[in-house]
Amino acid sequence: MYGLQAIAAHNGWAMALAGALIVFSGLVILSFVISQLHRILAFFEKKPVDVEPPEDKPGFLLPKPFPEDINEIVRLYKPLVEALGETFYLSELYEMSRKNDFPHPHITLTALRESKILVSDGNGVFSWNPSTENDDIENVEG
Amino acid sequence: MELFFQFLSNTGFYLADYRHVIMIVIGSLFLYLGTAKHYEPLLLIPIGFGILVGNVPFFKGFGLGIYESNSVLHYLYFGVVTGLYPSIVFLGLGAMTDFSPLLARPVLMLLGAAAQMGIFFTLLGALALGFLPKEAASIAIIGGADGPTSIFLTAKLAPHLIGPIAIAAYSYMALIPVIQPPIMRLLTTREERLIRMTELREVSKKERVIFPALGVLLCCFLAPASIPLLGMFFFGNFLKECGVTERLAQTARTAIIDTATILLGLTVGASTQGDVFLTPKSVGIFLLGAVAFSIATASGVIFAKIMNAFLKEKINPLLGAAGVSAVPGSAREVHLVGQSEDPENYLLMHAMACNSSGVIGSAICAGILWSFLV
Repeated sequence: MYGLQAIAAHNGWAMALAGALIVFSGLVILSFVISQLHRILAFFEKKPVDVEPPEDKPGFLLPKPFPEDINEIVRLYKPLVEALGETFYLSELYEMSRKNDFPHPHITLTALRESKILVSDGNGVFSWNPSTENDDIENVEG
Repeated sequence: MELFFQFLSNTGFYLADYRHVIMIVIGSLFLYLGTAKHYEPLLLIPIGFGILVGNVPFFKGFGLGIYESNSVLHYLYFGVVTGLYPSIVFLGLGAMTDFSPLLARPVLMLLGAAAQMGIFFTLLGALALGFLPKEAASIAIIGGADGPTSIFLTAKLAPHLIGPIAIAAYSYMALIPVIQPPIMRLLTTREERLIRMTELREVSKKERVIFPALGVLLCCFLAPASIPLLGMFFFGNFLKECGVTERLAQTARTAIIDTATILLGLTVGASTQGDVFLTPKSVGIFLLGAVAFSIATASGVIFAKIMNAFLKEKINPLLGAAGVSAVPGSAREVHLVGQSEDPENYLLMHAMACNSSGVIGSAICAGILWSFLV
């Protein structure tokens, strides 16, 4: 048997039509679902925010508070100084403190210089004065 | 002297006939195309060598041939006739596939669906030419341009046709650079080929992780017969994307898929013994395969043009040709044709989206046809 007669006898038209419809509708559904996937994910990721009461956030960023305790400043800056070596330029320490997002680096470096923790060796080079780290700091602060 | 003549009468030289010679020439051609022309070497070289191995004439009954139940080749062929190798290949394919372009532009999945129309047109054509329904379905799946899927469905419906169908499917996959560009150019205008696609959005890791789980459920609920292919395909992809099984994904996309491809190619090649392979049916299969592949390419391109009539943001109709599942050959061809018109037009990632949806589409088609005809 050949030709259209063979197609009809073997149910070919129905198979081809049903097959094409099924594969098409399957991929249409899949494409629709994946087109919504990122929206659904975004919805679920935002949901916890909706449940919690909104915080009162300021419209601008407040500067971080300046650490009043000089010991706290020393604790923050000591690892940077150790990384820079025995002597260093003040600009290097300033840059590193900015990169590490330390509060008010300019004022802090001035305070460290005034308290003789940062000592100038001349020619713009500075060093860390370890003798002032413990008791002397208390005296300076006091 | 008698012993010597007896030995001579058992050699391949004495037993060979013209069919063996023809098949050895075809095998050598495959090896040449793969080695010298770099046409799908990973497929054509194992198949070509398998054709040489399978067409060495031998004395029947020694347990040497692939169709003799106690031969080594027959044991290796077990993976083909049971559909084992195609499933393993799909695992590796899944572990290789990046669905990000498809997730970023889901509308391109429709082109993967449209390109499957070649399968159903060829089904009608094969029935009209007098093939039985199971044979017609096995031939039609060549239109999906997916070797493993073709082998899988043929193994289930018409195992006696595995050789010619596998050879036809892989041949047309290798001949993509010859078959597809003329059809693409014929069906599109220069202005259409110049359409540039917008940049794809970034896809989150969560989307990529969820997609394989979602895909396997949706597709396999719709066509459960596609579980052996799509189950493995999406599983491989989940291994890749979940982020905690990189070692397994790496093995799946290298050692496992390579082993399966070697054994699949070699045994499919060896199954083309001249006396079994060279029949009028094989010629019909090759002709219908070419028709199937051409219709699939044309359907994708035409559907993309139809979509453009409704879409605000036009898509390049060349992408429709990548809706067949020959990964990544057809995507690469679309990109090259696009670049031949406009060297700054980058269609590759968009074409890969169509290509990966073509893989899913052809596996669903195989599942549908199998469930229709068992």
